[in-house]
Amino acid sequence: MAQGEYIELHRKRYGVRMDTHERQRKRNAREARRRAAQARNLTGIKAKLFNKQRFKEKAAMKKAINQHFENDKQSSRPRDDSVQDGALPAYLLDREQQARSKVLSNTLKQKRKEKGGKWDVPLPKVRAIAEDEMFKVIKTGKRQKKQWKRMVTKVTYVGEAFTRKAPKYERFIRPMGLRFKKAHVTHPELKTTFCLGIIGVKKNPSSAMFTQLGVITRGTIIEVNVSELGLVTNSGKVVWGKYAQVTNNPENDGCINAVLCV
Amino acid sequence: MVLVNFKTITVVPAGDALVDNVLSKTQRKTPTVVHKGYAIGRIRDFYMRKVKFSQQMFHDKLTHILNDFPNLDELHPFYADLLNVLYDRDHYKLALGQLATARSLIDGIARDYVRLLKYADSQYRCKCLKRAALGRMCTLISRHKKNLAYLEQVRQHLARLPSIDPATRTLLIAGFPNVGKSSFINKITRADVDVQPYAFTTKSLFVGHCDYKYLRWQVIDTPGILDHELEARNTIEMQSITALAHLRACVLFFIDPSEQCGYSLEKQHSLFKSIMPLFANKPVIVVANKTDLGWESALDDSGRALLESFKADSGGRAVLMKMSTHEEEGVSEVKNSACEKLLELRVESKVRGKKVQKVLNRLHLATPKATSQERTPNIPASVLAKRAVQSQGGDDTRMGGEDGDVEMGEEGSGPGAKKLERDLQEENGGAGVYSMDWRKLYKLRKEEWAYDVMPEIVDGKNISDFLDPEIEAKLRQLELEEDAREAVRDVTGDAEVGGYRFVTQGEKQVVQQIKDRKSLIKQESVREKNAHKHRSALQRNKVLTRRSRLQEHLEGLGLEKEEASDLVDRAASRRGVKRTRSESVAVSVVRSSSRPRSTSRTRSVSIAPNDGFSDPRQKAKAIELARKKLKTGVAKYGRKGDADRSIPSKLPKHLFSGKRGIGKTDRR
Ligand SMILES: Nc1nc2c(ncn2[C@@H]2O[C@H](COP(=O)(O)OP(=O)(O)OP(=O)(O)O)[C@@H](O)[C@H]2O)c(=O)[nH]1
Ligand SMILES: [Mg+2]
Repeated sequence: MAQGEYIELHRKRYGVRMDTHERQRKRNAREARRRAAQARNLTGIKAKLFNKQRFKEKAAMKKAINQHFENDKQSSRPRDDSVQDGALPAYLLDREQQARSKVLSNTLKQKRKEKGGKWDVPLPKVRAIAEDEMFKVIKTGKRQKKQWKRMVTKVTYVGEAFTRKAPKYERFIRPMGLRFKKAHVTHPELKTTFCLGIIGVKKNPSSAMFTQLGVITRGTIIEVNVSELGLVTNSGKVVWGKYAQVTNNPENDGCINAVLCV
Repeated sequence: MVLVNFKTITVVPAGDALVDNVLSKTQRKTPTVVHKGYAIGRIRDFYMRKVKFSQQMFHDKLTHILNDFPNLDELHPFYADLLNVLYDRDHYKLALGQLATARSLIDGIARDYVRLLKYADSQYRCKCLKRAALGRMCTLISRHKKNLAYLEQVRQHLARLPSIDPATRTLLIAGFPNVGKSSFINKITRADVDVQPYAFTTKSLFVGHCDYKYLRWQVIDTPGILDHELEARNTIEMQSITALAHLRACVLFFIDPSEQCGYSLEKQHSLFKSIMPLFANKPVIVVANKTDLGWESALDDSGRALLESFKADSGGRAVLMKMSTHEEEGVSEVKNSACEKLLELRVESKVRGKKVQKVLNRLHLATPKATSQERTPNIPASVLAKRAVQSQGGDDTRMGGEDGDVEMGEEGSGPGAKKLERDLQEENGGAGVYSMDWRKLYKLRKEEWAYDVMPEIVDGKNISDFLDPEIEAKLRQLELEEDAREAVRDVTGDAEVGGYRFVTQGEKQVVQQIKDRKSLIKQESVREKNAHKHRSALQRNKVLTRRSRLQEHLEGLGLEKEEASDLVDRAASRRGVKRTRSESVAVSVVRSSSRPRSTSRTRSVSIAPNDGFSDPRQKAKAIELARKKLKTGVAKYGRKGDADRSIPSKLPKHLFSGKRGIGKTDRR
């Protein structure tokens, strides 16, 4: 016991009150009522938070109780030691013999996948984006009456060596604040996410012009730099560019989330 | 060296609590409603403010935590090492470092999202971005839950650490477990450390304070240390080692030659040898405890030799002392000699230091000369005389009064007592009746002057010089004359008596009438002025036109000029319109007819005749109203009216916004 722990020291020397445990028990018993009163009286965001917390606790409690019931049932049920036909011991379970039909169906599936693989993307359908949503008209000229300039209002990718054209010739402005270089790419099989550099925009489903401008919206196929992942082709070369499809609205979320197309 | 008070560190909130706190603060302290008509710029600002506010809150909270916790590199090495032993330096630094990183990451997130918010073109997009920003900040903080929990634990432990001052006079008690260290500190201080007959009773540092030579001494009890490698030592032992290594103290190394503690004397000796390097530059006393068990006689030769070798192994620096805490034998001797040794060392080091010379230069030791002269109290002769009188029996009552204030302390009701002002008061009718005679206290060149009559001076002149001694008589005579005259008037009813004329009742009435008339005229004039603001009620040229036209017409009919104007006047009066002053002015202007013709030509004016009133009654009413308004309104208090000059906007927008063209400053 350290020197500063005066409460413990006092307890050690003089013990506790005679009715301490009784009082403690009563306080614990009151706790449920106190919480109920709180639940009744809270309003607004505090009530929301409180109820969420309470719901979680209750769910956990129910789960635990059900678990106990299961355990009780299992322990009370009489065990039957009869062995089923064709049952295998645990150590042989992973060596399951493949049935011939299964092999066939597998190969079929594989073939279908290869054939359709080209078009098989995580998000097959996305909302088309109109031009007037994509662009904002910029007024120019001394009297602010020329309206041929456009500003892209969505997230874009411009290449490494991109330089803007002279203002006179720059029809589409891609603002610096909306340019992105990195994307959070999820590998669907590994179920892990990496922050990878973008190499280019392969296809924006809304329009070819958007593709050309490098606009990234939901459903856009981008090419990402996967050299860090160390993927290797069949022929043994290191893959460094791979396609990924954007799954979120980058302009709303402030980041690009994508799923790797494998 | 920064001396920190570990007790002032504030509570480190848990990760969830921190997030909840910041979010609800953001909700409460920033605007919450976006109305329909808000311009997009305003909506953007609304959400940017939320993002920035949350970031600032997180930033402040984390900064507070980071500033609160002591920096190990800046602490006194004793505390730095103690913290290392107790909480693991790396873990501690890592926790703080990660929080610092989190803080800068949060700043970065806020910066990025505020930049994105600038391009948001709808409220929905703004809101999504704000949500994403706050979400990322909160996620970041909830990743540091463990660090925050660890820091909170450290804080709680730090606050409970005994406050050891590394710089002060310190006695440090060290030795094997169970040798009686805690018993000793209990004897010399009020630390009240636990004493038990088993090893490792004391598990942390304990501090007590004692007095020696009117100085305060800090006594530190350490946990017992075993004799093994430094690497093998546990946290409890390491606290002792830290204290031994960093505190400049007098070390009391306790041994138990009776071996009741459970460790042999050889082991205790080898421990002493192994931690010898820690005793460098410190006075060391080896205290052989528990003499009451009779080990002195029971010890064999080898044991005695071992006991002696303690001194030899320390290079002759250590002193061996014997003591028994049970019997309280030698306890105070041990304490005193330890304090003495340390004091010596400290003084020595101070004298050796540079500072002492600076102080010595300024010091001067004064040695006063011894004198044989005796210094007796000096009592004034008057006092002595008075004392003599009093001791004689003091039948002279006036004595005290004449003596003045010398004997103020000895007042009383005795026969020799001074007569006080209070006594005088009682004699002359008591409080409220008696008024004190101040004059007797006047300090003048001659005492008889005190009761002289004082001349009254006004404007540098003595009033008594101007006093007519017969004024009363003269006044009386005048009054008599007046009475006589009035009596005569009452009898005769004559207005003129003895050359004086009395004002008659009729004359009084006339004067009153004149006064009334004057005030009426004055009121009328004021009303006129205010009602028309010094302008004529009807436009002058208007009046002119109508009258002159009528007159021309009449003249054209063959009337004489005088006749025509008479007719015009009569026509005006016949219409029953009360002729106002201005009208009459107009008429006179017409009559003089000296105005050039051009003035009579006017533009069409839409003011109707009769000043725009339908009948005289209405006009009178209006005039009355105006008068009433005058009493309370604009003119009375000189408030701002329509006619005052006013500049509605000092910087008209159309003249001050935008760029200027070439050479034009008044147009854009
Ligand atoms: N006979 C005798 N027993 C003593 C004396 N001093 C201490 N003891 C006993 O020795 C035992 C240990 O005393 P402590 O003061 O707890 O020893 P310690 O060095 O603080 O032990 P740790 O805290 O475990 O390191 C207790 O049972 C005391 O009663 C003494 O002078 N004579
Ligand atoms: Mg102890």
